[in-house]
Amino acid sequence: MKKDEINIKSALQGLVIDLLFWSYLWGCLYYLAHNWLGLILNYKYLIMLAMFSSGLFYLTGDSIGRKYFFPSHLTSRKWFKTLWGWLIIFSLLITFVVGWDIVEINPYKFFTKFKNAGGITSGIFDPSIIGYELQTESLEKLAEQNLPEEIIEELKKISGRKYTTRKVFSRELEKRLDPAAYDKYKQPILKSAIKNTEMLNKALTTLAETIFLALLATVLAIPLAFILSFFAARNLMPKTFLGNTIYVLIRTVATIFRSIEAIVWAIIFSVWVGIGPFAGMLALMIHSVAALTKLYSEQIENIDSGPVEAVRATGASTLQIWIFAVIPQIISPYLAFTIYRWDINVRMATIVGFVGGGGIGLLLLQQQQLLRWHNVGLIIWLIAAVVWSMDMISAKVRAKLSEM
Amino acid sequence: MNSLLNINDLHKIYDSGTHALRGINLDVKEGEFLILLGLSGSGKSTLLRCINRLIEPTSGEIIFQKRNIVKTSGKALRTIRRQIGMIFQQFNLIKNLSALTNVLTGKLGYVNLVHSLGMTKIKEDVITAEKNLDRVGLLEFKSQKTRNLSGGQQQRVAIARALMQNPRLILADEPVASLDPATADSVMKYLGELNKNDNITVICSLHFLSLARKYGTRVVALKDGQIVFDGSPREIDERKFKDIYGEEAEEVEIR
Ligand SMILES: Nc1ncnc2c1ncn2[C@@H]1O[C@H](COP(=O)(O)OP(=O)(O)OP(=O)(O)O)[C@@H](O)[C@H]1O
Ligand SMILES: [Mg+2]
Repeated sequence: MKKDEINIKSALQGLVIDLLFWSYLWGCLYYLAHNWLGLILNYKYLIMLAMFSSGLFYLTGDSIGRKYFFPSHLTSRKWFKTLWGWLIIFSLLITFVVGWDIVEINPYKFFTKFKNAGGITSGIFDPSIIGYELQTESLEKLAEQNLPEEIIEELKKISGRKYTTRKVFSRELEKRLDPAAYDKYKQPILKSAIKNTEMLNKALTTLAETIFLALLATVLAIPLAFILSFFAARNLMPKTFLGNTIYVLIRTVATIFRSIEAIVWAIIFSVWVGIGPFAGMLALMIHSVAALTKLYSEQIENIDSGPVEAVRATGASTLQIWIFAVIPQIISPYLAFTIYRWDINVRMATIVGFVGGGGIGLLLLQQQQLLRWHNVGLIIWLIAAVVWSMDMISAKVRAKLSEM
Repeated sequence: MNSLLNINDLHKIYDSGTHALRGINLDVKEGEFLILLGLSGSGKSTLLRCINRLIEPTSGEIIFQKRNIVKTSGKALRTIRRQIGMIFQQFNLIKNLSALTNVLTGKLGYVNLVHSLGMTKIKEDVITAEKNLDRVGLLEFKSQKTRNLSGGQQQRVAIARALMQNPRLILADEPVASLDPATADSVMKYLGELNKNDNITVICSLHFLSLARKYGTRVVALKDGQIVFDGSPREIDERKFKDIYGEEAEEVEIR
């Protein structure tokens, strides 16, 4: 086939490419003119402008569309000596400028507003493992130790209030007492305060919820994906109409389901079955089934066909071939993928919690909205610890499996 | 002698358009050790794989024990396949299973699904499998994963697997092509022994004339999908050899 045979179809395709290019270029320019100079223009004119300039451009013989469809129509000049070369450079530049404007990139804020992140930073360096509070009995204890009346009175004001860490509590005392009194009575007050691990308990409970949520989502996804993967493997499906239809159907649905993020599934299911770990589990499960089906079936497609043929030649049935020649070849990569998936699911489970999927993610969201930065700090540490250890374990196990 | 396999006007045209077999007629007698010779691409593998229907012939018939293999399907095809053992150049063992389990898979055509799942625990089957491994001298390797065995050992496990089928016919597609000459000969010895002692008919494709002369009772040569020679191994002289392999070919002696 000669590349530059002139035909209407390629000519039109070239023109369309030019038109799209110029529409984009004028669109970007208009965006900047509108945002920066307040220019207002009817879209009709913009389209006309694009059509006009692309037509003109096309005729010059220096157009992108023509370059693409009739390469030999262009002179063999170096790109930087051509109009289209400079236009592409210009359009890349303008894309960057428009992008900068749209994303509201602001280096000034990045360097000057760091103190806004002070809350979360101090939270991370001082996570609330032990909470402090003063109760009536603490005050009674302090009275016995002959603390001045006015200090007891002052402390009464904060009795019952919960402080997330020792430091936070001390800072409150520092604010309420004069320096001398603070130095003198800090120790007995701290000693008599009631300590609790409420937040830690709660975080650990919801963390367990998250881990089990991820585990269950993975475990429930395995058999489904396992069965589906056999039907989604090209080399196993018979080359009949039915076989092909099943293959295409499963592959397509899996691809669509996988391209919808788990977080979107969580939103759907939190409306469907209500906010909580069940919604989160369903979201992760659906996503896992789709992802594992793809990974598993690709693994099947990559197996050595030799043993499969050999077993077929013994007169084995299709199911026997699967069991004796296919499964032994895929079992260890399957396990590796599955463990990796659980690892991913644990991470995802916290994020899914943010949008109604329950678990520690939900707790993190609540604490963040209450601005309890020390609690947030604790939660972040716990999540990091779990993710880190899952990462280690899964890497170790996968390394072992690959030796098998 | 009785005819075991009768191939009439067999053609194979691949989807790619390659006409790999152009009217093969072949009558294989019981007890023969038939050597298939031919250049690479002459259609040896295609012919062997048509016989047990690993690939579908385009036209023609293959009569095995009074049944036309080309016309059978499903259970009937599997009943025929189980009587035909197959040996491959690449051994085609399931590498992460033990030698014994690999041999046991030779039994699959005879048993139902439930039985096959428990096969490694069924005494009778295990004893037969061990007997077959012993015949190829590998009993002590029975619980080794076959990936840890040498090429020659793997091919012997494959022979034991074929024996497990209790076959009337063994198809061997270049069984020694990936082995060194000494090992190649020892593997061929096992095939020759089965042919003599168990009266198993063997069709074996080879590239070495010396091995063909040593073990074959009959030689069939293919060229461009057609039979260009059919006779006794002794009949192949310099002239015939050049007909089969082309003028430039030199005979390579091994052993
Ligand atoms: N699956 C296939 N699809 C298309 N063409 C094929 C296929 N397999 C083999 N062929 C072609 O059919 C012809 C015969 O191939 P075949 O593998 O039977 O030759 P062979 O004699 O076994 O060669 P070798 O000694 O290299 O194994 C060749 O031209 C090959 O390219
Ligand atoms: Mg071949």
